Amino acid sequence: MPTRVFTTMGTVVSLRTDEPLADVVVDWVRETFDRFDAQFSLYRDDSEISRLAAGDLRLGDTSDTFRRTYADALEWRSATSGLFTPHRPDGVIDLSGIVKAAAIADAGTILDTAVTGDWILNCGGDVLMRSSAPTAVGITDPHAPGRIATALTVAAPRRAVASSGSAERGEHIWGVATGIAQATVVADDIVMADVLATAIVAGGTELLDTLTMTHRIDALVIAPDGAISATPGIRLADPSFTTGVPEPADQK
Amino acid sequence: MNVRATLGGAFAALAVLIIGWQAGTAASHPATATTASGSTGGSGTSGSAGSGTFAGSGSASGSGTSDSTTGSSSAGSGSGLKDGSYTGQSADTRFGAVQVAITVSGGSITDVQAVHLTDRDQRSVSISNRAAPVLRQEAIQAQSAQIQTVSGATYTSEGYITSLQSALDQAR
Repeated sequence: MPTRVFTTMGTVVSLRTDEPLADVVVDWVRETFDRFDAQFSLYRDDSEISRLAAGDLRLGDTSDTFRRTYADALEWRSATSGLFTPHRPDGVIDLSGIVKAAAIADAGTILDTAVTGDWILNCGGDVLMRSSAPTAVGITDPHAPGRIATALTVAAPRRAVASSGSAERGEHIWGVATGIAQATVVADDIVMADVLATAIVAGGTELLDTLTMTHRIDALVIAPDGAISATPGIRLADPSFTTGVPEPADQK
Repeated sequence: MNVRATLGGAFAALAVLIIGWQAGTAASHPATATTASGSTGGSGTSGSAGSGTFAGSGSASGSGTSDSTTGSSSAGSGSGLKDGSYTGQSADTRFGAVQVAITVSGGSITDVQAVHLTDRDQRSVSISNRAAPVLRQEAIQAQSAQIQTVSGATYTSEGYITSLQSALDQAR
């Protein structure tokens, strides 16, 4: 599959398609990510969210996109009993926990309309795809990110995979990890997958059990000791296949 | 007793059992093949999956009565677990009676359900879609042609360079 790779939001986007992509489509996708970054990055002094944090802008004067995203984040805060939150401990609105997924979702909408065949969009380890066949997704080992701990297959209507690790402190997980080193959520929607993966790492097994009953998700979690658990909907990839990815030693 | 407290108790009871059961499962994996082919012999004997681990958990108080196998069994692959559905013994806990069923498919445990669980007021509660332990797939690490993409905790632009996703991207 042709693969296009570009940097945005402090990470890397890999876009794989069945057929070669027109540059204009790649640019469109890239601009989508860049636009979210310019608007929501607290690392940029001139972003809308930074101006809000600095008091130069009032919430009522923010853009529709901003308020819609904030409202979505508040709903997810309610759905996760506050384990996912769009606020930093100091009260500053921080939407970094949802913006990447929102950008992926928007980019997916573009790809759904602009691309005819299958596509896989991976932004920093969060994945959205349109695939006509079950697709194998490797899950990184939280203790050795260059390796995978297992692999699962994703099939329609599921099309989004997001993982969150307890090492992501300072980003958007403020809770204390409770026996889950990494949570992977498979959902129909990338925002749901991303937010709930974040919440599960913070909320532990108890929240995982609740969320798998209340939301249309499948989940795979890896404990600090490396033990893997998965909900019944998770289909592990057949480990018997061969060839493809270079040996770890060849990854340099 | 309100519903939330009841459910909480039920969850706690099941958690105790499942934790014990996981520990038992982990410990018994190497021995499972022996058990299946050696001592039990027959197809679909369920005791190894259910009762042994309950005993291992130490939380069952000995009321176990039923020990049945439902569904058909077929040869599993590799792990020594035979495909099929297995129901463990009923166990009395201070939170009520618990009975757990597992489904084994392709040699891996694919489902765990509390098939009969009552709280202290003898009301039954059913729980499904819980996460169950699965086996690690170390073999995939070096050979993953069919892996189309990789998901993991977010990597930075710098981290990407040494990531498996980067290797995948370069391989195409």
